[in-house]
Amino acid sequence: MNIEISGIGWIKKGICGQFFKNLSYDYDELRSAPSLLVQKSILPSVINKFNSFDTVSKATCCAVALGLDDANISFMTHKMEDVGIIGTNQSGCLESNLKYFKDYVAGGRNLARGKLFIYTLPSTPYAAAAIHFNCQGPLIYTGSSQAQTSSLLIQAKNMVSTDQASGMLAILAEQNYAVCFVIIKNHGQLNGKSLPVDKVISGLDNETDINEIINLLSM
Amino acid sequence: MSRLNPVVVMYDVVTPYGWGAGACWEGLLSSQTALSQVTRFDTHSFLSSNAGLVSDIRPKQDDSLVIQMLKPLLSEAASDIPIDATLFLSSINGEIEFIQEHFLDKNVDPAQSGLDCLLKKVQNLSKIKRPGFIVSTACASSTTAVAQAASMIRCGDTDCALVTAVDCVSEFVFSGFSALMALAPDIARPFDKNRQGLSLGEAAGFILLMSEERAFREGREVLGQIAGWGLTNDAIHMTAPSDTGGRLAAAIQKSLTCADIDIQDIGSVCAHGTGTLYNDAMEINAFKKVFNNNPIPVYSIKGGTGHTLAASGLIEIIISFESLKRGITPGTMGLLSADDLATDMVAPCTSEIKTHVTISTNSGFGGVNAALVLKGK
Repeated sequence: MNIEISGIGWIKKGICGQFFKNLSYDYDELRSAPSLLVQKSILPSVINKFNSFDTVSKATCCAVALGLDDANISFMTHKMEDVGIIGTNQSGCLESNLKYFKDYVAGGRNLARGKLFIYTLPSTPYAAAAIHFNCQGPLIYTGSSQAQTSSLLIQAKNMVSTDQASGMLAILAEQNYAVCFVIIKNHGQLNGKSLPVDKVISGLDNETDINEIINLLSM
Repeated sequence: MSRLNPVVVMYDVVTPYGWGAGACWEGLLSSQTALSQVTRFDTHSFLSSNAGLVSDIRPKQDDSLVIQMLKPLLSEAASDIPIDATLFLSSINGEIEFIQEHFLDKNVDPAQSGLDCLLKKVQNLSKIKRPGFIVSTACASSTTAVAQAASMIRCGDTDCALVTAVDCVSEFVFSGFSALMALAPDIARPFDKNRQGLSLGEAAGFILLMSEERAFREGREVLGQIAGWGLTNDAIHMTAPSDTGGRLAAAIQKSLTCADIDIQDIGSVCAHGTGTLYNDAMEINAFKKVFNNNPIPVYSIKGGTGHTLAASGLIEIIISFESLKRGITPGTMGLLSADDLATDMVAPCTSEIKTHVTISTNSGFGGVNAALVLKGK
């Protein structure tokens, strides 16, 4: 039994797609992406409160929708109690931190906005996805001093192989870019539409960043 | 024990009670809270003026508040930390003063506040040569990091891990929790029927884990064992926990399965116990589910130290081991009159514990839940 990637969803400015289904879709603005995904039957309905999310959360949720659909997993019917999320990015939540404190200072340092404060936690974008897609397994924001993508996939794979979760969504997400890898155990049910995680990890360059990964996936 | 079992060989901590696990333990037993008036910044606009502050550290020094906490701890311990240990850093806000100073005082590069920068500093302080990991999972960060480290040891990916954790009291964080209406006007009173919110705190600490085989080979004293772990998510709301406690109960069950022990073997619980209406209610429901109405001592330390955010899990793991060493739990600081549903579980005074196994739990924003099964030596 192997641990494999059974779905990959990705999104960048103006275009999003799915790896195994070999499909891509153009869109105008990130705020309109969920409507597009509903049109394409990738999402059953738009994501609740999507327009109030920060951009990393928006990108994350879209990538997860695309990834789950690419893996033929319907979060409405699939057993999501044991599906977890592990996410990473390079910038942390610097933009959200700056936005929050700038707003607080501009307001005279008397009243802060809770809705901005919540995005100063690095784990918030992944929590937003967990809430919408009902992922009740582990939720982790991670970072690494070594190759980011490889480290993320290794950690996700280990969590599945040690039964901490039956499946993990491994997500790289930056401002306006995100990739979601759906990682599960292959009991023979995937019928060739999957990639062994180890093979993907060994094929990744040490310096592969999210842009390069999306470009590779969208080729 | 299996040779790959993750065991604890060293730990140290600084909390509002002072430096060292002993100081924190003695403080908790003294029935005196370490929460005090914040003078570091103006709190008149906020719901509370109180927090748990480490007395020896000051803002606007050469070192940030978090480095002022970590440097003495790690410098003293560095000679006993193997350079091939796998490093974990748990923090939510890291060196948040760089963000504050960028807007308030001077032209500093706010990117210095990144957790990746802090990870490099911690790596230098601990003299570890191997790559490290950041784990930031809201208030369950360090519990999650310990679970990840223990899992890596058990499956042979590493035989030594240093888990560090730190967060500080800052205007950035204080203003945010006040905006969320989460702060208690006086002090946090976990599990109290009249609880009104949490008190913030700051702390730093580390735990050095090894495989049992390596600990034996190096002649290290084993202080205890990370026997099991379980991580789940409520997946309901960004700031409010599930009211049933179902997913926290599931995390506890997972940790028991991971440890291959029964619920009857558990002698006590070090709870998250923030003092907010909803978190504490959620935990009470979870514990009732898990313990099937056979109550055991449950306690929270946050009425004494404040809620130290990412560091809270690590501090509570250390206090759990101190508790197992002594065979008693500390009382729940700040508790005056227990919630009607928790009268059989919590008390303001110490309780005797009947087994050498305990559970430590933490929950956090985004619905995260983490549970560890800890065995004493």
